[in-house]
Amino acid sequence: MATLIVMDHTGDTRHNFDAKNADALLKAEERFKELTGAGFTAAVRTAFGEAVVKRTFDPNAEETLFFPRLVGG
Amino acid sequence: MSKQPLPNAKERLRLFLSECGRRARGLCDSLRRQPNRIDSRFVLAFRYRYWEREARGLELLKEWLSPEQFAQYEAKSYFEVTGCHSGKRYRINRGTSMNIHELDGAGRPRLGWCFAPQGHLVAGDVMLAQKIALETDERGALAVANRFSVLTGPRTTLLH
Repeated sequence: MATLIVMDHTGDTRHNFDAKNADALLKAEERFKELTGAGFTAAVRTAFGEAVVKRTFDPNAEETLFFPRLVGG
Repeated sequence: MSKQPLPNAKERLRLFLSECGRRARGLCDSLRRQPNRIDSRFVLAFRYRYWEREARGLELLKEWLSPEQFAQYEAKSYFEVTGCHSGKRYRINRGTSMNIHELDGAGRPRLGWCFAPQGHLVAGDVMLAQKIALETDERGALAVANRFSVLTGPRTTLLH
């Protein structure tokens, strides 16, 4: 089971999907495009634990994290 | 201090006060209905939801920290990251604004940077977004950030 984790005011919202299911994968990709289109940054973790920013949907990622656009405080 | 009016900090404060106001009005309504006692369930639910949100954010942060950063955060309530472009070290303190310090060669804070994700996010989420931003797009993060002075013992760095 793969997960899209979206940061929000509740802490985060998680969208789980079966990466082996073509329909679920398509929906996840649509959500990815929706979020990144809205200014969210998507990041995944490598096997070594490093964060890598993703501009396109990675169907092999177990966890993809989204955080809102950064602004100066 | 920065010349910027700290719009994000103001927005956060506004949202926080708005949330407090909404909760306070709910509590007033509850007291009107039962004037002889405070609805303890309401108070407990408010506290629980607040701490639950904070805990969720911190849990997520800890999942994404490297083992070294995790140990540092557990011991000191801050962790350090390396900027991907400059190689500079930054200390991310627990908090949601004005919580990033750029370190000098000796590991002392030399100036502060303030940036955060838009919206009313919990501390763990904010710190995680700051970490990822500095480790993967340092220039982009600092381009939107505001600088602020940090106290460095007897002398103070002032930046505008």
